[in-house]
Amino acid sequence: MKREAINSLLARRTFLRKIGRAATCAGAIVAAGALGVTKTVAAKGESSSSGGSFPTKDYDWTKHQWAFGVDATKCIGCLRCVEACKRENDVPGDAHHFRTWVERYVYLEGDKRARIDSHHDPVNIEASGSEREFRFANRYQGAKVEKAFFVPKLCNQCTHPACVQVCPTGATYRTQDGVVLIDHKYCIGCQYCVQACPYGARFYRPKERVTDKCTWCYHRITKGLEPACVEVCPVGARIFGDRNDPQSPISLFIRNNRVQVLRPETGNAPNVFYVGIDKEVS
Amino acid sequence: MPKHIVRLIVLLVASGAVALIAKWYFTVESFYEYGHYRAGSVPEIAAQEPVYKTARYCQSCHSERHAQWSANNHKSVTCETCHGAAQGHPEKGKLPIPADTVKLCTLCHEAMAGRPGTQPQIALAQHSGGQQCKVCHNPHAPKIAAAVIKVTGDVAAGRQRAAACASCHGPEGISPNDTWPNLAGQSAAYLARILAAYKSGDQKDVMMTPLAQALSDGDVRNLAAYYASLTCRTIPSTARIGDAAAGKALAKNCAACHGATGTAGNPGWPHLAGQKAGYLVNVLKAFRGGLRKDPMMAAVVRGLSDADIDNLAAYYAVQSCRP
Repeated sequence: MKREAINSLLARRTFLRKIGRAATCAGAIVAAGALGVTKTVAAKGESSSSGGSFPTKDYDWTKHQWAFGVDATKCIGCLRCVEACKRENDVPGDAHHFRTWVERYVYLEGDKRARIDSHHDPVNIEASGSEREFRFANRYQGAKVEKAFFVPKLCNQCTHPACVQVCPTGATYRTQDGVVLIDHKYCIGCQYCVQACPYGARFYRPKERVTDKCTWCYHRITKGLEPACVEVCPVGARIFGDRNDPQSPISLFIRNNRVQVLRPETGNAPNVFYVGIDKEVS
Repeated sequence: MPKHIVRLIVLLVASGAVALIAKWYFTVESFYEYGHYRAGSVPEIAAQEPVYKTARYCQSCHSERHAQWSANNHKSVTCETCHGAAQGHPEKGKLPIPADTVKLCTLCHEAMAGRPGTQPQIALAQHSGGQQCKVCHNPHAPKIAAAVIKVTGDVAAGRQRAAACASCHGPEGISPNDTWPNLAGQSAAYLARILAAYKSGDQKDVMMTPLAQALSDGDVRNLAAYYASLTCRTIPSTARIGDAAAGKALAKNCAACHGATGTAGNPGWPHLAGQKAGYLVNVLKAFRGGLRKDPMMAAVVRGLSDADIDNLAAYYAVQSCRP
């Protein structure tokens, strides 16, 4: 072998050795950096959750898994839930902004499809006399009603929420205890989530330029209270509780009834369980 | 390496570094802590103050009301369902006591397609004659607990015992004068309730109290059954008082309990059709003056003038007691 060739091989070997050392050093630096980052993240975690439990001192979200039940066979359509929700959550006063609502399904004799109305139907607004009060008009008094029922609706707090997936700013998210919330400071009001929700549960607050929706009264349930709509329901048509507790009202409701969810085919995996609704309800 | 390529690489690296620094600088502390969102917003949302305070909050001051409410049929309807959210009460003033109870109560109780059959419902036009619900119903204990007990007595034994009553109430339960009431065909549950009230002293009358005190509980039931079994008769009153036509308009307010023409649907309440006008006037005035005590009647007669009472009595006195 020629001396030149040997020399070039040696040079190549030294070069590779140098590269290897450089890579090791770089790796070490990156690792150290990463360690530093993890430490800062951990420090952040401590700073925002006071005393170990999150999100509040007395409430640990890892210990709960909330769910909601609706027994449509009990609902009388008094709309106290809609009124209470508006007051509790400071929802705009007019009839067209709401976090929860009640639908009335009426099949008249000979009808193939249900007639559906809700509190913001003009006839019902007229019956209540104001957009700030809610009442179902007795509009089918003379008609031959074959079948009729009321269905309360609200955000389904889905396990795989489409609204969260589409949010471009991380302003909406699912908490560890199973509630989808909106960070109004990060919401830019693009309303992509309003369109993404298959249940029409979200709405836009024009004044604040943010979207809004039912939170199962997160500020109440984290204090051991029931959501406002459940609290005021006079007939027990709304059921709320912790699925981690086998004796909670919702666990019993799901266990003792044949429940269903709305639009299971969308893959959102909703967490509001219904009893006594018809095939047309979705 | 050509110079322009080097420049391009330097530019790319520099802008990448700027982007990373910008991201580090603008991303708030708690972002990414639990996911792609600002963890700090969760405690912010959780810190909101509840507006609806629950019945337990009300109980701390209104324990008496709470006790009555929680023992009765409306116990599933919380305080705040009717009175509104308690936030700011009592510091910032009173909570409303709903004045228009027709508007409030019909939210749940108006008969409507879609309401489950277990929900008590009324057809408003046929129920109260436009009166407020709270005239008859106590919203905290809504069920009208008049004596709807089925009275079972021995008619024959009652007839024997009734000999003592005949001098005033007539041998066949039809009173000979305008002051004493007819008893024939009256509801047994009502008769038993009133006799028991005289006996216990809840209701007082110079004549009736000593007579009723001499009766046993069995006598009360037998007498009630006997008089209920007799046939009533409408005898035109000799005393010409009041205007029956004007009374008819007023009587709409009484129809929910005493029936449109004075024949009560509920056995706990007396039939008024064909009753003596003078007696009706006295009784209504006794309710108005508080001599006879009944919370429901007291509320109903409060607004009646002497002329109204005369008219009502005249109306009921001439109604046929056999529907």
